[in-house]
Amino acid sequence: MNKTRHLALCGLLLALALCLSYVERFIPLDLLVPLPGVKLGLANIVTLTALYFLGAKTAFPILILRCVLGSAFGGGPSALIFSLTGGLLAMAVMAAARRLPFLSIYGVSILGAAAHNTGQVLASMVLLRSVYAAAYLPFLLAVSIAAGMLTGTVSALTFRALAATGQLPARGTKQKRT
Amino acid sequence: MRLRFCKGDWIAIAAVVLFAAVLASAFALHAAAAAGVTVEVRLDGELLFSCPLEQDAVYTVQGDYTNTVTVRDGKAAVTASDCPGADCVHSGWIDAAGRAVICLPNRMELRLAGAAEDVDIIVG
Repeated sequence: MNKTRHLALCGLLLALALCLSYVERFIPLDLLVPLPGVKLGLANIVTLTALYFLGAKTAFPILILRCVLGSAFGGGPSALIFSLTGGLLAMAVMAAARRLPFLSIYGVSILGAAAHNTGQVLASMVLLRSVYAAAYLPFLLAVSIAAGMLTGTVSALTFRALAATGQLPARGTKQKRT
Repeated sequence: MRLRFCKGDWIAIAAVVLFAAVLASAFALHAAAAAGVTVEVRLDGELLFSCPLEQDAVYTVQGDYTNTVTVRDGKAAVTASDCPGADCVHSGWIDAAGRAVICLPNRMELRLAGAAEDVDIIVG
């Protein structure tokens, strides 16, 4: 893939991640699960896609920019701390979990969702100087299994479609010349 | 690249469930061991107000935002807040030691501390 195409693709993924995290706010998930602060984590689909197709070196700046721009558009500085700690821990865990041969994209996605929640609770523990914030984490972890399955399903479908069109090379397979 | 759910993914699910269970039981043990429960209201980690859970009280916390904490019938909750989203109010009532309601925008914590507060709880 040449540099221009690579840059355009990064921009596209960043825009997509911002859109997904914005649209997510309008999904009234707390009607289904009565836990404040629960989210689907749709932007994680982009992190997964970037991680699998472009590698951690490219996925990392996309994640950082998504968090910074996302909080600039709405949320403010405290939202930035939470999305960064959650996002970075999720990315680190998924980058490591991807190397485990027995996990599919579903397992990687679930671990990423759980890591995201853990990171956010860790941030609130530091911010409030309290271990009591962790009492809420088991509930969030239970939800993260379902949310991780959902984002994993969407990612798997996306990957299949992208690989089928030859738009993005599946890592470890030979790139088709177009 | 595996795109189908496989047996190995159950290991990931089991790991998350195990982590959640260990954490939940640590807090449950803490609650069971507590003799008396004290309501504590903290702003930026600093204790501003405390009273026994059995005693009804209304307390207003003024930080970046304003939270109203209500203690009634052995339960406590944030009953009013002007913070964005008001997640603290939606968190509802808590009644066991180790539980907390948090208002992140205001950096306020309403915590139910057990009598054995000196003993640190070990988490995950």
